[in-house]
This record gives sequence, C-alpha cells and structure tokens, in this order.
Amino acid sequence: MMRQAYVSEQRYPLPLAPAMPDVWELWRRAKTLEWDPQTDIPWEDLHPERYSAEQLLAAQMYWSRRTWGEYGAISESPALLLRFCLERRLPDLQFFFTMRTMEEGRHAEASWLMAERLGRYFPQPQNPPTAGAVGTHGVRRMAFDPDTSLEGIFASLVCAAEEILIDVFKATVHKATNPAVRRLMELILRDEVRHIAFGWQCLDAWAPSFTPDTVRNIEAAVTTMIENVEFRGYRNLWLAIEGGSATPAEIDADRISCEAGLGGNTPEDEMMVFPEFLRKIRKRMAPWGVNIPMFDHPRLGKV
Amino acid sequence: MSVTIPRVTDSHAARLLRAYQEQEKRFVERRFPLQFAPEVPALRELYSQAKGFRWNPETDIPWDRFDPTAYDKSAREAARRTWSRRAWSVYPGLIESTALLIRFCLESGSLGMDAKLFLSFRPAEEAKHLEVCRLFADVFGGYEPDPGDAGLVRASNHPFAQAALDPEMPVEAWIAALGALDDQLDLNLTLSHLQHAKDEVVRTALRLIAGDRQRHVTFAWTLLGSRVPTLDAHTRAAVVDTVRDMLEHVILGGYRNTWLVPDKSREPWLAAEQETARLGLGASTASQERGVLRATIAQVRERLAVWKLELPVVTHAELGRI
Repeated sequence: MMRQAYVSEQRYPLPLAPAMPDVWELWRRAKTLEWDPQTDIPWEDLHPERYSAEQLLAAQMYWSRRTWGEYGAISESPALLLRFCLERRLPDLQFFFTMRTMEEGRHAEASWLMAERLGRYFPQPQNPPTAGAVGTHGVRRMAFDPDTSLEGIFASLVCAAEEILIDVFKATVHKATNPAVRRLMELILRDEVRHIAFGWQCLDAWAPSFTPDTVRNIEAAVTTMIENVEFRGYRNLWLAIEGGSATPAEIDADRISCEAGLGGNTPEDEMMVFPEFLRKIRKRMAPWGVNIPMFDHPRLGKV
Repeated sequence: MSVTIPRVTDSHAARLLRAYQEQEKRFVERRFPLQFAPEVPALRELYSQAKGFRWNPETDIPWDRFDPTAYDKSAREAARRTWSRRAWSVYPGLIESTALLIRFCLESGSLGMDAKLFLSFRPAEEAKHLEVCRLFADVFGGYEPDPGDAGLVRASNHPFAQAALDPEMPVEAWIAALGALDDQLDLNLTLSHLQHAKDEVVRTALRLIAGDRQRHVTFAWTLLGSRVPTLDAHTRAAVVDTVRDMLEHVILGGYRNTWLVPDKSREPWLAAEQETARLGLGASTASQERGVLRATIAQVRERLAVWKLELPVVTHAELGRI
C-alpha cells in the first residue's frame, strides 16, 4: 500500500505561523461564530400549518434546491484545500478553508432541515441529470488541474459565484417574514460574508504579482462562471437562458416561496441585484487590470 | 498587503495535482437522489456531538495561567521540540480527512450523508489541534518548521491522502488502517500524555484534543461495524492487508513514535520527549509509549477478530513479534 507509486508530498519546512493577518482574522472569527442548525434556529416559530399547500410546495422545492447547491461545497470545494496543501500555500489559507468546509456542511444540513420541517425534502430535481452530469460548477476538477490557475478559481468561484449568492440573500432577507427562515438566512449570510472576504483578500494580496496570463485567466474564469453556470440556472432557474430540464413548477418555486416569506427571491429581485452585482465585481477587479465583458441575457438585457 | 504566491509551474506540485486529477477522473459521481436522512444513526450522533462540543484553541485553553518561565531553558527547548514534532504528525490530518470526504462524495454519491457530514467537520478539528501544537511550541520558544533530518521526514510524511482517493483501495480498508489503527494509537498516546501531564494548561489542551480524537476513532469503528458484515472476501482481505501494511511500514517505522524512528534520526527529538514527559508538559516516555503501542495493537486485533478479520503478527527488529 504505502510502497505503491503514489507521489510523495514535499511537506517541509512546514510553516504554521500566520502570514496574511486579514485571512488569519477570518479563521479566528469563524472559530467564535460556530452554530448548530438543530439548536440555533427557532424551529418552534416555523409553523408550516399557517401556509397554503402551494406555498409549502414552493418553499420545499426552494430549500431542497439550496441543499443540493450547498452539498456541492462539501463534495467539490474541499478539493481547493487539498490544492492549498499540495502547493504549500500559506497556512492562513489552509486553516481558514477547513472552517469553510465545516460551514458549508452546516448550510447543507440546515437547508435540508428547513425543507423537511416545511413538510418534505426533494432528493432530486423533477428531471434529474444523468450520472456524470451532476449539475455542478466543476470546481473539484478545476482545483485538481494544475493548468487551471488558482487565481481564476478564486475570482470565479470564491468571489463571483459566492458574491451573487449573498447579494441576493442580502437583498431579500427582509422579505423572509417567517422568523425561523429569516434566522437561518441570517446565519448562512454571516458565514458567507467571511467566505467572500477570504476570496477578495487573497486576490488583493496576490494582485501585485499577477502576470498578463493571470489576468486573462481570471477574465476567462469569471466569464465562464457567468455564462455557463449562472446563465444556465445553477443558482436560480429563472436565469437559465435555455430551458434546461427544470419544470415550470421548479422555476416558479423561488418566487412563490419568497412571496410567502419563506425564503427565495423573485425575478424582479434578480433584475435588480444581478446587474448591480456585475457592476460591482467589474469595478472591484478593474484595479488588477481585469476587464469583465458585458453579457447579453434575454430577460436581464445587456448587463 | 502583498503576498508572493507559489507558482503552479512548480513541477512537483503539478505532478502531485496530476496524480489526484487522474484518480478523481476514475470515479463517476452519482449525486442524485441526494439523501440527507440519517442511515447510520450512531454516525449522525457523532456529527451532532461534533457540533455540540466545539471549542476554540485561543479561548478555551487558559493561556494566561501558563508561565513558561517557570521552566528552565533546557526544559523549554525540550517542550518546544516535542510540540513542534507533534504538529508535524497532526498536519496530515487536514489533508487525509479532506481527501476521505471527497472520496465518500465521489464513491457513495447519493448515500453516506452521515459520514460526509461528520467528515466535513474533521479538517477544522485537525486544524484546531494543529494550532494548539503551534501555540505551545511558540510559548516554549518558537515552533520548529523542519525536522532537518531525512529519516524523520520519511517517517512522518506518507501519501495518505492519495491512498484515500485511490479507487483500487476499498474505502473500508482505508478507514480500518487510518481510523481504527492509526487514529486509535494516536488517541491512546494522547490519553497517555494526558495521564502523565502535570501542568494544568497542558492537561486542558490534551483533554480537548482527546475528546475530538475519541470521536474520530468511534467514527471509524462505527462505520466499519455498519459495513464489514456486508463485505465480500476480497474486500475483507484488503482490510486486513491494509491494516497490516499500515502497522508494519508506517506505525513501526516511527510515524507516531520517535523511539521507532531509525536510530540516527531519533535525536534530539527523543531526548526532548523524555524531558517533556519528565516535566509533565505533555509527552510520555519511550517506555510508556511502548506499553501504549502494544496495548493498542492488541485492542485493534481483538476488535477486528469480532468480525473474523485476523490481523497477522508482524515482526520488528526491536520489539520482536508484535
């Protein structure tokens, strides 16, 4: 076993002292802000009996879909931690990312619990993808690919994809009139803010050493994330440019759930938040020399 | 703030990543239907306990009550070395447990959520233990980042994460080797250090680490208990072979015990551990560790025998038949 032809790591010297104070601070904060979906959500205030069957079904679909998305962060994103270790990145990255993996597991469990306690968790989309086409953002494959730059993965996944997710959460959390749902959204938001800060802090710190290739990698990765992930409805089915396999009920679930105060967002929210998100990341990445192009979307227009 | 990033063009890192990439491609992940309901309640309970027993190395250890100046320079140097060496043996946990989590996701697809949720917590627990080791090394004079000896490097650096992602390696075999044997030994050694520690702050730290380690070991045995009875003969043989291999080539090669490292590579680390143990600052003597190792092997052998898995006797130059 141990004598097989595995490639040995070159582990030493093994630095453990903080080298990026801002990132280290995120690790420290994460340790003080742990929570438990079973005990820190006021489940007794959920009262599913107060909602119509249509509202409950929509909310069950919304929270089930969230569960599948959060699961991706257990199944895929931890590959980034392996990459940090194998490439012997600074310890701050490694320490923080262990907490991120834990927090994503917590979000998946919490989203599943919410669907369950609203009456039912759906374990798959109504038209599930075939094996191998798992409905993923593909970060695991990217993380293990030495030809894919880490900066590009950070810009696209850790910054862009997570940023739009919390921008929508921030813009809609006030609509969650149900106290249990709102508390859950607040707790997820609190963690996700750290996850995004991590991405931006790393890229800001690395930016002085970006080469023209790095910049092109970032531009390509972010563009791919917008066009092939966001505009295919990975996060919100309404954004899917082509119909895909989602049913009308699934596409409308976010809106109905949101209007019932049970989490989710409406197309109007997306119309407002998505263009603003793109403006924000364009401005944020511009000092690095990164130029994010304009995108055409049939419902959002030119954004 | 400007931080230099190592380039991916580092050929060794690229080789490592390609090896992982090849392994990952050999799995076909089936994500749906994605089941979340508990399948093995005992494993889900361990996950619940992990959430409930969370702690923070910076705030849950009373560092302000610790006075390193109460110990002379040579004592501090010994403890600094001991806690540094311990950090090197904790660090692999970050990588191994992450690789194991990915393996479960790739292999079990829609099932096995209890194990995945549990393993999503484990890298952070390992990181906390690592931070404790670094903090102790620092208070005793400074963490030492490099063994500075090829023999000790070899003994403490094994490609466990790659083994965890190897589709040829049954996941049960890996859990048995890493969780039931290596984690069990690690737990038993930590308990021995705790038993012999005199300093209140050191004892608190070791107690917190041992609490997590106990859960990790229980996870391994519980998972094996839920799967071994259904394994075919080939996989059962792989379980035994992998545990024997881990024992013979890793544990007895000095992975956990400095006194088992080749002679010329033992010092100054072994003397440091002896001194740290004598002062009660979080170590055991070689003699105490020898007893722990023998007891652990007997314990693992007995527990495997319940499933009619016979761990063969191995021979070691110093220890004889064990």
